[in-house]
Amino acid sequence: MHTKIQIRLNGKMQTLTVPPFRLLLDLLRDEIGLTGTKEGCGTGDCGACTVLLNGKPVNSCLVLSGELEGADIVTIEGLKIGPYLHPVQQAFVQEGGAQCGYCTPGILMMTKALLDENINPTEEEIRFALSGNLCRCTGYAKIIQAVQTAAAELRRSYEEFPSSQRRGGCATNKMPRSH
Amino acid sequence: MEELAVVGKPVTRVDAEEKVTGQTVYGYDLVLPNMLYGKALFSTRPHAIIKRINTERAKNYPGVQAVITGADAPWIHGETIKDTPFLAQGKVRYVGEPVAAVAAVDEDTAQAAVALIEVEYEDLPAYFSPEEASKPGARAIHEDYPEYHKADFIVTSPLPNVCEHFKLRTGDVEQGFRKSDLILEQSFRVPAIQHAAMEPHSAHAMVDDSGKLTVWVPNDAPFRVRTETAEALGLPPEKIRYINPYQGGGFGSKGGLKVERIAIALAYHTKGLPVRVKFNRQETFVSTSTRHGAIVRIKSGVKSDGELVAREITIYWDAGAYSEKSPTVCIRGSLPSPGPYRIPQVKVDGYAVYTNKPVAGAFRGYGIPQAAWACEQHMDDLAKRLRMDPLEFRLKNIFVDGDVAYWGEQLHNVGLKETLLKATEGIGWGKTEKLDPKGFKIGKGFACIAKPTRTPTTSNASVLVDSQGKVTILAGTVEIGQGCSTMLSQVAAEELGIPIENTRMHPLDTDVIPFDSSTTSSRSTFHMGNAVRHAAIHAREQLAEIASGILEAPQEELRFSDGKIFLDNDPQHALTIGEVIRRQLGPDGVVRGNGSYTYELGKDVDPQTGHSDHASAFYMYATQAAEVAVDEETGRVRLLRVVAAHDVGKAINPLNCVAQVEGGLAMGIGAALHEELVVDDHGRVRNSSFLDYHLVTSLDMPEMKTIIVECPTPDGPYGAKGLGEPGLAPTPAAIGNAVANALGIRIYDLPLTPERVYWAIQAATD
Repeated sequence: MHTKIQIRLNGKMQTLTVPPFRLLLDLLRDEIGLTGTKEGCGTGDCGACTVLLNGKPVNSCLVLSGELEGADIVTIEGLKIGPYLHPVQQAFVQEGGAQCGYCTPGILMMTKALLDENINPTEEEIRFALSGNLCRCTGYAKIIQAVQTAAAELRRSYEEFPSSQRRGGCATNKMPRSH
Repeated sequence: MEELAVVGKPVTRVDAEEKVTGQTVYGYDLVLPNMLYGKALFSTRPHAIIKRINTERAKNYPGVQAVITGADAPWIHGETIKDTPFLAQGKVRYVGEPVAAVAAVDEDTAQAAVALIEVEYEDLPAYFSPEEASKPGARAIHEDYPEYHKADFIVTSPLPNVCEHFKLRTGDVEQGFRKSDLILEQSFRVPAIQHAAMEPHSAHAMVDDSGKLTVWVPNDAPFRVRTETAEALGLPPEKIRYINPYQGGGFGSKGGLKVERIAIALAYHTKGLPVRVKFNRQETFVSTSTRHGAIVRIKSGVKSDGELVAREITIYWDAGAYSEKSPTVCIRGSLPSPGPYRIPQVKVDGYAVYTNKPVAGAFRGYGIPQAAWACEQHMDDLAKRLRMDPLEFRLKNIFVDGDVAYWGEQLHNVGLKETLLKATEGIGWGKTEKLDPKGFKIGKGFACIAKPTRTPTTSNASVLVDSQGKVTILAGTVEIGQGCSTMLSQVAAEELGIPIENTRMHPLDTDVIPFDSSTTSSRSTFHMGNAVRHAAIHAREQLAEIASGILEAPQEELRFSDGKIFLDNDPQHALTIGEVIRRQLGPDGVVRGNGSYTYELGKDVDPQTGHSDHASAFYMYATQAAEVAVDEETGRVRLLRVVAAHDVGKAINPLNCVAQVEGGLAMGIGAALHEELVVDDHGRVRNSSFLDYHLVTSLDMPEMKTIIVECPTPDGPYGAKGLGEPGLAPTPAAIGNAVANALGIRIYDLPLTPERVYWAIQAATD
C-alpha cells in the first residue's frame, strides 16, 4: 500500500512513493536520508523533530506522509543560505546555544518560525515559542540569548536590505536549489 | 607563566557548526549497509520465574532473521559485580528487563514479531523499597549473589539484597554525641529520576567472519565497555572494537552494556550482518538506567558555639534489579556524604540494595546530590536550633586549605569558602530587598558540596602534526556535549602555538585511539587535558629539534606562535610548522607526539574504614544559592533567581564552563521541583514519557548567575580540574533551604511539587 506524493523539500521538488502511514520524520530520516531532523520521543512531546511544513513549525513525528501532497517542507538541511550559515545558525554558534546538539535542529527550526512571524520578540515570547522544545544540556539561557542575537541580526539586515523581509527573511525561499 | 593565547579564552565550540547544520551523525542516525533491525521483548513482571518461552510464531513471521532468548546469549556482565544477563536467564527481576529479541529486515517486522513471543511467568514476591528489601528475612532477589564474581573492593553484608556496604569510621561518634550540646536526627528521601538525554539509546553490532565483534554505540567509556564485553564473552579485547558516533547527551546513562548487549546478542545470530537496536523513549526511560533513589538518615552533634562534633549517616541506595554502577555510587556518594566540613567523629554506612525496580546507575553527580539534599538541609536546621546564621555556621566548620578531611586526606587548593562567600553575596544573603507579595512567601537558601573524581585513572593521547601544519588529536574522551573537543583543541593549539581552526579531533574508535579510562566523573579536563598537553609538548619538542637545525638556533630559544616557529629576535625568518615538517620529512611527513597521564598518588579507600590519604585526584567545590517565592495557596514553588559559584581550578574555556553550570542548574532545578520516576506497586514505571515526566522547559528557568572561582590545582593542566557534575549537585538542597526559609517549614522529600508543599503547609497550620 503505497501512495505517490509530490513535495517541495528544502526548495526542491520531489516525487516520492511511500506508505501513507509513514511518519514525516521517518520519511525524512529513513527514506530520504536527511538525518538532521532528530527523533527524541516519537510522540510529539520534545520538539526535536521540528520542521517547517508550509511555513509553520510541526513535530514531524506527528505528521503522516499521506497528508503531504503539495507540501512545502523545510528541514535543518535547508536552512543555510548557499554556503553561508543562516543568521539563526550563526547566532547559535556564537552564543554557545548548542551543547550535545541533539535538540538543536528542532530548536533552530522553531526559532526560524518564530522570527519569520515576529522579528522583534520579547524574552517572554521567545521562552513561550521554545517551550515545546526540550533541551537537557543547556538550561536554555544561551539558547534564548542566541535567539535574541539572531533577531537583532535579522532586524539589522532587513534595515539594510528591506526587500529581503517580504520573502520571509530567509534563505529557504530564496534558495530553491540548496540540495 | 607566559601569557596564554588560547587557553582561558571563551573560544567558540569546535563542533558548533556541524551541529547547527544538522550534519552531525549521532548513534541514533547511523545506518550501516545491509543492516538488520532489532527489537527486544521486555519483562512485564517485577520478579518472576520464566516457566516457558515460545518463540515459534515469531521465528516463522516473514522477514524475521533471528529470534533469541537467554539460552542463545548465555552471558553475564557487570562492571564490579557480574550479575547481569544479556537476556533474562530463567527469571526476571524488574518490569522492563530484556527477555528475548528479534532481528528482522525492518523495524516494523521486528516489532510485529516481538509481539508474537509468548512468555509464561510464575510470580515471586517483589520488593520496591531498599529498606524492605534489606530487612532480615527478605527473600534474595539474586539467589546466587554470594557466588557472583566481584571486584576486590566490594564489601558484602549479612543483610539480604545488599550488593555493597560502604563503611566510614573516624573517631567514636557515640562519644562525640555525648560531648555535644545539641543533637539532631533527621531522615530525607530522594526519588529515582531519569537522565532523559535527548537522544534515546541505540547500538549497532556486527560479528565478522574472523569472529571480531564491532559495536557502534555512543558509549561514554568505550574502553571500559570493551573490557566488560570481553570479560562477558570470554574474548580477548583485541577481538572487540567499539566505534563511537556522536552522543546526544548521556549524563551517565550511556555507559556499560545496556542496549549494547541486545545488539551484541543478536549479532551472533545474524550470519555476519550488522544489526541495529534502537530503544524508543519509553524503553530508554525504563530499560537503561536511573539515578539512585535514596533514603538518608543523618544525626549530628554540635557544641553550642556551632562546632561540629559528630555525624552519623546511614544511606540506603536503591540499586534496582542489577548492580550496574551501584557499588561505586555507594562508595563515592557515601564517602563525602557528611558534607564538606571538619567533623572529628564520623560514622557512615552506605548500603546499595537490590530491589525489583529499573536499574540505577551512574548519573551526573554520582551520589553527591542525594547526600547534599540531606546534609545541607540538616545543616540549616542545626543552625536554626543553635540560633546561628546558616552562613556563619558553615564558615565555622567548612573545609579550608590544609584541613584533614574525615576520610583521612589532607586537602589542598580548596576554593570552597570563596564559592560560599560569593554565592551568598550574589543572592544577597541576609538582606531583605522586597516584602512578600500577597499570597506568596519569599525565601533564600544555599548549599555547598565537595565532589571527588574517580581515582586512579589513566588517559593517553596522541597529536599528529602534518606537513600543512594541521593537527589531529587522538583522544578517547567522548564528546557528550560537554565541550571536550573544544577544550582539548585549545590545549593542543596552546602548546603548539597554532590557531585552533588548525586542529581536529579524530573520531573515537578503540582500534585506533589510545586507551582512556572513561568520560565520566568530571575527569576529562584534568586527565585527558594533561595527556593531550603532554602529547602536544612531545610534538613541539620534535618540531623544535628539526627547526633548530634549519634556523641554526638552540631549541630553547625557539618560539611557537600563530602556526610558525621563530627566534624571538628574528621573527622575519619564521618558518611555518608545515614547512619545518616538509623540509625534514617531505610532503607527506607527520610528526606524532604522545602523551599519557595517570594520577599516581590515588589510593583506593580502605574497605573497612573508608580511609584514604589520596581518595581523589582533585575535589570540585561549589556553593549555589536560590531565591524562591512560594504560593501559600497552591504550594507552587516559583524560582526567582539562582546563583552558582564553582571552583574549577582554571577555566580553560570560560564560556563552556558557564554553559556546563547552567545546564547543571536546569537538571538540578528539575530534580528539585518536579522530576520523579514513579514506580507503582506492581513495579511498573508510570511516567515513561516526556508528557508525564516533566523536564524543565524554557518557561521554567529563572535568572541564573554563574560565578567561576579559580583556585588552581597544581597537577591539573594550567591548574584546571573538573566541572561537569557539580552544576546540579547542591541545587535541590539550596532550593529546599530557600523554601524552608520562606515557609518556616522543612520538607524532607523530593521533589518539591505543589502538592507536597501544599500538604506540608496544611500540616504545619493544623
